[in-house]
Amino acid sequence: MNNDPAELDQAALQAEIRERVQRKRANGAYSDDVRAALELPLPGGRALFSDELGDPLPALQDTLAEQVTYDAVSHRRLVGTPITFGRRVVIGLVRWWIAAITDRQERINQLVARALVDLRDAPSPQFDERLARLEREWRRWREDEVAATLESRFFAARFSGDESVIRRQSEPFVDLFRGRTRVLDLGSGRGTFLELLRDNGIGGYGVDLDPKMTEDVRARDLEAYTADGIAHVQSLADASLDGLYVRHVAEHVLPGELIALLRDCRRVLKQGSPLVFITPNPATLTVGAHTFWLDPSHRRPIPPELFHFYLEVEGFERVETRTSEPSEERLREDVPDGPIRENVKLLNKTLFGDRDYAIVGWTPGP
Amino acid sequence: MTRVHQFHPVLAPGDAMSNHVFALQRRIREWGHESLAYAIEAKPGTTDVLPYRRLFRDVRPDDLLLVHFSMGNEVFTQLAKIRARKVLVYHNVTPAEFFRGINAHAATYARLGRTQLTELAPAFELAIGVSAFNERELIAAGYARTAYVPILIDWSSYELAPDDAVKARWEHVKPLLLFVGRISPHKRQDDLIRMLAYYRACIDPNARLVLVGGYRDQPQYHARLVELVKALRLDAAVTFAGAVTPAELVAYFRSASAFVSLSEHEGFGVPLLEAMRFDVPVVAYDAAAVGETTGGAAVLLEDRDLARAAEAVGLVLERRDLREALIAAGRRRIADFDPDKVAARTREVLGL
Repeated sequence: MNNDPAELDQAALQAEIRERVQRKRANGAYSDDVRAALELPLPGGRALFSDELGDPLPALQDTLAEQVTYDAVSHRRLVGTPITFGRRVVIGLVRWWIAAITDRQERINQLVARALVDLRDAPSPQFDERLARLEREWRRWREDEVAATLESRFFAARFSGDESVIRRQSEPFVDLFRGRTRVLDLGSGRGTFLELLRDNGIGGYGVDLDPKMTEDVRARDLEAYTADGIAHVQSLADASLDGLYVRHVAEHVLPGELIALLRDCRRVLKQGSPLVFITPNPATLTVGAHTFWLDPSHRRPIPPELFHFYLEVEGFERVETRTSEPSEERLREDVPDGPIRENVKLLNKTLFGDRDYAIVGWTPGP
Repeated sequence: MTRVHQFHPVLAPGDAMSNHVFALQRRIREWGHESLAYAIEAKPGTTDVLPYRRLFRDVRPDDLLLVHFSMGNEVFTQLAKIRARKVLVYHNVTPAEFFRGINAHAATYARLGRTQLTELAPAFELAIGVSAFNERELIAAGYARTAYVPILIDWSSYELAPDDAVKARWEHVKPLLLFVGRISPHKRQDDLIRMLAYYRACIDPNARLVLVGGYRDQPQYHARLVELVKALRLDAAVTFAGAVTPAELVAYFRSASAFVSLSEHEGFGVPLLEAMRFDVPVVAYDAAAVGETTGGAAVLLEDRDLARAAEAVGLVLERRDLREALIAAGRRRIADFDPDKVAARTREVLGL
C-alpha cells in the first residue's frame, strides 16, 4: 500500500487555491453576499453540535438557557388516551426522559470542558497588548539600530562607493573564480562583479535585498534575484555552488549570523571552491574609528585576525588575508633616516593603512 | 474446514459495510470454509442472512466469529459471551457529538458504541481495523492484538451497465459535483451545499451538486438541509438522490465531473475509492482516515474553508494536467486495494 507523495505537490496546490480565493476577493466575485451564504446557519434549529464545539462559550450560554421538554401526549386516534396515560405513569422510569437530561448534561459537560481548554490556550487581552507592545518596541529597536528610516537615496548619493572603485577592487579576485560555472555574488548591488564574471566567461548570479538594484542588473541581462542573502544561502542545496563572493556584507550582520552564514557557505560550496569576503579594515584606525561608522547600518567592525580565525575554525583551508584600498591621506615620509622616519612609517601604517581587506578561503578537496 | 460466522446489526444492499461482509463471505467460501452472515435486521434485497439469535445455537468453540463493529448495540455485549474464536472488525464509530441535538437516537447509540468498544476488548482475541486510523483507535481502546486490513472491495461488482434514466438525466450536466454517503451530520452535506453557493457565484453558475445517499436514518438533518437549499435559492442546483441501486450509482459516477467530500469523519471512506475507480477526480477534506485512504491521489483540504474547497474543485476542473494526474494517481491507488491482495492479507491475519 505505497503512497507516492511525489505525484501531486499538495503544498503548491494549496498555494494556488489560496491565490484563486484572493483573486475572487479582489475582483469582487467573492462578495459579502457569498460570504453570508457560506456562513448561513443550518435552518430549523440549533447549529450542529460539532460546529458549536468550535466556538463553545456562546453555545454553552444557549445550552444552559435551553428547556428540556418531552411531550407525553399521544394524538393517535382511540389508542392515544391510554398511551398518554401509560407514558405519564412511567414517565419517571422511561429512559428517554433520563436520556434527555443526561444528554443535556453531557453537552454542558463537554462544552465546559472544551471551553476550559480553549481558555487555557487562549492568551488574555492584557497579554496580547503587552506582547504587541514588546513586538512594536523590538521592531523599532531593530530599525533604529540600522537607521532604517534614513533617506537611503540621499545617503547613497553622498557616501556610496564609486563604480570604478568597486570594479578596481573586485578585479584582482576574478582569477580565483576562473573556470567556475556557478558563483554567487552575495549582495551583488549594481552587478559590477557579475559583469566581471561574465566578461571572463565565468558562470554566476547575484542576490541583493534591494529590488531596484536587482531589476537594473537583470535589465543588463545578468542573473540576479531579490532576496535576503542569509536566507538565500540557507535555502540552497548542499554543494550547489562552486564559488562565493561576498563584498561588504559581513559588517552588516551580527557575529552569530556571520558564523551561521559561514557554516551554510561551507555546506553549499562544492569541494575545492573559493570563498571571498571583503569588509572594511578596522586595523586602520581612521577606518575603525571613523569611516566605518559613516554607514549607520554597519553593525560592528571585524578585525582581520578574527575573521581569519572564523574561516579556519569553520573548516576552510588555505585562508589568507589581503588588504586593499590604501588611504589617500598619509603623513609625509620624506624625512631623514632615523627614529623620526620610523615613527612616521609606523603612524602611517596604524592610522592610514589599507582601508579594506579581503579574507579568502577554500573548501577542502581537490 | 473452519466455520466462519459474520455479524453486523444491519445488513443492507449497496451499503459499503454490508458489501464488505458479503465479499468476505464469498472469499471464505472459495477458501473451502463454511461462511454464514447474521444480522438483527436484514434489509430487503439481501439474501442468505440469518437471524442473529441463531448465533447462540450455531457457533461452536472452535468456530471463527467475525463481529463487524460500526455502532453501539446491546447485542454486542451478549455476543461477547459466546465461546468461539472471536475477531472484531472495526469500521469506526461516528463520535456522538455529530448527532447531539439533532438525533438523540443516533447520539445514544454512537455513545454506546464508544463505551462498548472499550468494554469488549477483553472478549476478542484479535481486533482488525479497516484503516490504520481505526487500528490506532483499537489500540487506544485497549485491544491486546490488533491488525490493519483494508476493506475488501469487489471491484468487479462495478462492472455493470449504468442505469439509463440516471445517465440520460445527468451525463450532459457540467460541471456535476458529486458526493456519495448517507445523509448524516458528520458527512457535512450542509457544507457541500454552502460551498456550491460559492461555486456558482464565483466559478461557474451552471454547477450542480448531487448528494447520493439514503436519508431515512437522519430525517431531521435531511429536513434542515432541504431548508438550507431553499434559503440559498439552490433548489434547482442541488439534488438529493437518496439511496440508489448499483446501476444508478455507476451512472452517477460516470456523469460526475468531480467527487467532493467535506466529511468530518470517515473510518475508511469507500466512495473516495469508488470515485477513483470511475476516473473521477477527488477533492476531500483531510479528516480521520480520508488522507490515508486517498493516499496522495486527491486534492486534500487542510482547513474547513469552503471558499478554498470550491476553488480546489474549480482548479481541478480547469487544469487538465492536474485532472489527469489525479485520475492516474487514482488508478494506481485503486491497485493498492486489489481484492486478491486484500483477501490474501485477510486470510493470513485470520489464519484460515
